[in-house]
Amino acid sequence: MTAVLEASHLHKYYPGVTALDDVDFTLQAGDVRALLGKNGAGKSTLVKILSGAVLPDQGEIRIDGQEVTIKSPHDSFLQGISTVYQEMSLVPGLTVAENILLGRWPTSKRLGVSFIDRKEILRIAREALGQLEVDIDLNQLASRLNVAQQQLVEIAKAISFDPRVMILDEPSSALPSEEVDTLHRVVRRLAEQGRAIVYVTHRLQEIPKVADSVTVLRDGKVIGTIPVAEATPERITQMMIGSDWQRTQWQRDAELGPVKLEVRNLNRAGLLHDISLELRGGEVLGLAGLLGSGRTELLRSIFGVDPIDSGEIIVGGVALNNPSPSAMKARGLGLTPEDRKQQGLVLVFPVEDNLTLASLRRVSARGVLNPGKERELAEAMVEDLQIKTASLAVKTRTLSGGNQQKVVIGNWLNTLPEVLMMDEPTRGIDIQAKEQIFALVRDLARQGLAVLFVSSEIEEVLDVSDRILVINQGRITHSRQHDEVNLEQLMALVMEEINL
Amino acid sequence: MTGAVQTKSTTIRSRTSDLLSRSGLLIALVLLFVALALFAPNFLTSRNLLNVLRAVAFNGIIACGMTFMIIAGDIDVSVGSAVAWASSLLGVLAIQHHWPLVLAVAFVLLQGALIHAGAGYIRVRWSVPAFVVTLALFMALRGAARLITNAFPITPFPDSFNFWGGGYILEVIPVPVVIMAVVFLLFHFISVRTVYGRSVYAVGGNEESARLSGISVWRTRIVTFALLGFLSAFSGIILSSRIMSGSSNIAVGLEFDVIAAVIIGGTSLMGGEGTIFGTFLGVLFIGLLSNGMVLMGINPFAQEVIRGLIILVAVLISVTRTRN
Repeated sequence: MTAVLEASHLHKYYPGVTALDDVDFTLQAGDVRALLGKNGAGKSTLVKILSGAVLPDQGEIRIDGQEVTIKSPHDSFLQGISTVYQEMSLVPGLTVAENILLGRWPTSKRLGVSFIDRKEILRIAREALGQLEVDIDLNQLASRLNVAQQQLVEIAKAISFDPRVMILDEPSSALPSEEVDTLHRVVRRLAEQGRAIVYVTHRLQEIPKVADSVTVLRDGKVIGTIPVAEATPERITQMMIGSDWQRTQWQRDAELGPVKLEVRNLNRAGLLHDISLELRGGEVLGLAGLLGSGRTELLRSIFGVDPIDSGEIIVGGVALNNPSPSAMKARGLGLTPEDRKQQGLVLVFPVEDNLTLASLRRVSARGVLNPGKERELAEAMVEDLQIKTASLAVKTRTLSGGNQQKVVIGNWLNTLPEVLMMDEPTRGIDIQAKEQIFALVRDLARQGLAVLFVSSEIEEVLDVSDRILVINQGRITHSRQHDEVNLEQLMALVMEEINL
Repeated sequence: MTGAVQTKSTTIRSRTSDLLSRSGLLIALVLLFVALALFAPNFLTSRNLLNVLRAVAFNGIIACGMTFMIIAGDIDVSVGSAVAWASSLLGVLAIQHHWPLVLAVAFVLLQGALIHAGAGYIRVRWSVPAFVVTLALFMALRGAARLITNAFPITPFPDSFNFWGGGYILEVIPVPVVIMAVVFLLFHFISVRTVYGRSVYAVGGNEESARLSGISVWRTRIVTFALLGFLSAFSGIILSSRIMSGSSNIAVGLEFDVIAAVIIGGTSLMGGEGTIFGTFLGVLFIGLLSNGMVLMGINPFAQEVIRGLIILVAVLISVTRTRN
């Protein structure tokens, strides 16, 4: 029996990074293959190659034994590969049925004019949803669906192409646990119809429920493919981490200071549940959790960006009733947001202006800026953080990711904060810049700053933090000291399934 | 001292954002000037040039506020109606209701700022596009002006009032030109040297980053609306002084001349970039062009076509520059 999908010797290089290194990937009809790996292991590159979003530098792909070239998402469709991405792509103002057939609406000609054939749309859409055996009103507007329903409609849309191979990119990450069962049922049913399915996930516990076999990637290589019966969480975690990772050793050389930030019983409907934490001067508190676990939401709620439903935020012993970014800034808090381009920087600004964006009050008197002072603060930051820029006057847009991130951090350090919350400060930046940022975080802590550190890379959290809180589905589930936990244990805690 | 000077020039350079487009506009302005000097009869006389400056002063004053509005990523199409409303209200209060002129002027300025601040509040409170809010103002203020005047000019103002719009300093420089110069200098200063000015750029460049940096987006936007409302009322008062009546029929279509001047001056419609100096050049460009076309006896309808095409070209230049 020939494999439905057979990719062999795939290579993909990006500047400075080997994203895929000689990857073989084979799938039989009716197979559900769970695809696992840490961030940057190569999962998304593999998915992108199969779905036509990027081209491999080397390697070949066969569908039913025939070699195919996939140069665009359209080619991927034509070859019978359908991908359901994490980001929903439904058009909110159209109905479920119209979305399923988006852009390919059947028409009928009357008096020489093409009209959309509504009956035919409904028929095809009903058939697609029927295959999933789920009940969603076809005439409902997409804007009125919940996340789980949207996901199912996305899947129905993919099925309406009658694909041989379906790729589901972290389909369960956005779903509440009761909806995940429906998703698993649907995936199993699709496999029974003879389709081959790639199921990308981070949740180890769902693997036995949905997959037949598991492929683990690490550093762009296939570490192994094992049947689901052998795929215990311990084994998978071990495959994902490998043994070559060395923990950075550092010594705390000062006592922790007083409590700078305290959160008590913070709640935000559906996102954060009863969260309490304490952060002391000189302490780096790491927040370890998967995407969608509530990490970013927690930081944003503390900083007053998003409203909270209940709970107390206490800064320097004083409870704040109405947190807003400017009020929090005035109390000595700072937040370097996860998306530096969209949330941290004004890209059209010169570097100098971004370095003082949050400290305009400090560089002005009675509302009038003092250019000398501004320049002085900006120059000091460029030097301290080793920001590589031709001058202070160049647009921030032209800097590399790592240097842009340093500008965001510098912007906040210029406010002389007592508490700095850092959301994914190392995302998408090169190794050298990463290491500089870690060293900086430790150094700032030594000087008495309290840091709340978030990263998708669990190694990073483990490496840099004095203490680690595990956040899972909006709850703090564990707290560990730096020396109480190793990487495998922490990984297991982060990926643990909790029953609510 | 040298340090401070260097810093200032760097700031100006960075704010300038694009030396090329600036010099491009300067070159265009010079070419236009030379062409008009050669081909337009009576163009190159001090009397005519001062007239051009006076003619653009009313738009120029408003264009300063409009520049901030567009840098902040918003737009205001109501300023022409706001001018007519200010003029009508001044006439009704000062002439029909016999308010002391100083009081009437102060009141008109204040209400101009307040009405626009209200529009700004609606803009931020309900996240309505500024275009829609000011479109409503565009209709309502013109209507209100006609309502209180029955669409008739209200006269007479005392003769001394004519000084502000029709008088001269040192017997040659029209007063509105001096006022315009002061407003431009003031707004240039605000844009490069104040916390508020920097906030305008930040809010327009990336509202989310500005908010997360603790800049008050609401206050910045509302103040920007209020300043533009104030300047529109101010321009309306000087214009009333020039025509010596309170009129509801003036400044029709003025908003588009003002917006055009700002865009020609290099302010990005995407927000975050632009300069007051660029706007000044844009105002001059439109003023010289209009004057030259009149002197050359070009058909007035053809003049509109030409101005439209020039704005189109300016927008295309602005957009391609942003994409690069």
